[in-house]
Amino acid sequence: MADTNRKIQELLSDYAGALRDGCLPVFLKSLTRQEGETMTCSDDFWEAAQVVRVLNGVGFADKAAIADAGLFASRVDANIASRLKKAKSSPRARRTNGARSTTRTRKAEKPI
Amino acid sequence: MNRRLRNALKGLTAPDDDRRRRAMEPFVRETFQMFIRYLYRYLGNEVECEDVLEDVYGDIWQNPDRLRDVESERQLLRTVYLYYMRKRLREVYRTMNRHLYLSQNDLTNLTAPELGLLDKMSQSELKQALGRALGRLKARERRAIELWLEGMSVRAIANELKTTVGAVKMLKFRTILKLKKMMSEYCHEE
Repeated sequence: MADTNRKIQELLSDYAGALRDGCLPVFLKSLTRQEGETMTCSDDFWEAAQVVRVLNGVGFADKAAIADAGLFASRVDANIASRLKKAKSSPRARRTNGARSTTRTRKAEKPI
Repeated sequence: MNRRLRNALKGLTAPDDDRRRRAMEPFVRETFQMFIRYLYRYLGNEVECEDVLEDVYGDIWQNPDRLRDVESERQLLRTVYLYYMRKRLREVYRTMNRHLYLSQNDLTNLTAPELGLLDKMSQSELKQALGRALGRLKARERRAIELWLEGMSVRAIANELKTTVGAVKMLKFRTILKLKKMMSEYCHEE
């Protein structure tokens, strides 16, 4: 991807390669302003990009090393537990649970 | 849609947090393979797919309303992509955007696009359509795509076809456009 003025077919080829290798950010960072404009103006590029994504799913997803669903379910459960914990400890939740700020209770006390 | 998935979906849309949490495990077991293969289209990286999917399941647990009226697997996939996956996919690249020469719109179209005609087809339908379309290509075009699908680099394909790298890129671009036309025709026929 050293070329800085790639034509549309080269851009598509690099996009397809990046998608296949799982390094899309590298491709995105390699784009110059001119290449970005070339992509914007080309309808063919966007049509071909759709097929490239489909080919990526059909051709390579089966070969990918995908984790076990049972193990992944426990990861999801941990994510949910952390969301629950966060929701319970958020300041708004604490206030609605009956905890008041100390300044407020002091004001309510009678001065001696 | 199979019975286990339907039951899991029913539990998922319950108002009680704990019941929804218990329903997540069977839901993950039933949908994990389908979702991760779908995400792979956009990321091409197992680790990133799992990270995004973990948040997607979390979002589904938190706000499952969109899944209330889902009746088929295809509809489930479409709903999950549009309302849960797409948002997370955009977030993956959001922080990058300020350093790029791409407009926000183009970045979204590239990383988390709207669903096109081909995206609405199931994996098995796509495989069938692709098989038919590949069969209608010229031998050289088909060979280039097959070699690419085997994981070969453009340079390696050029060596195999005894041509230049530039010629292979052009051949691939034209062939992909041809494939798009053929697969869309197949989609309309179906």
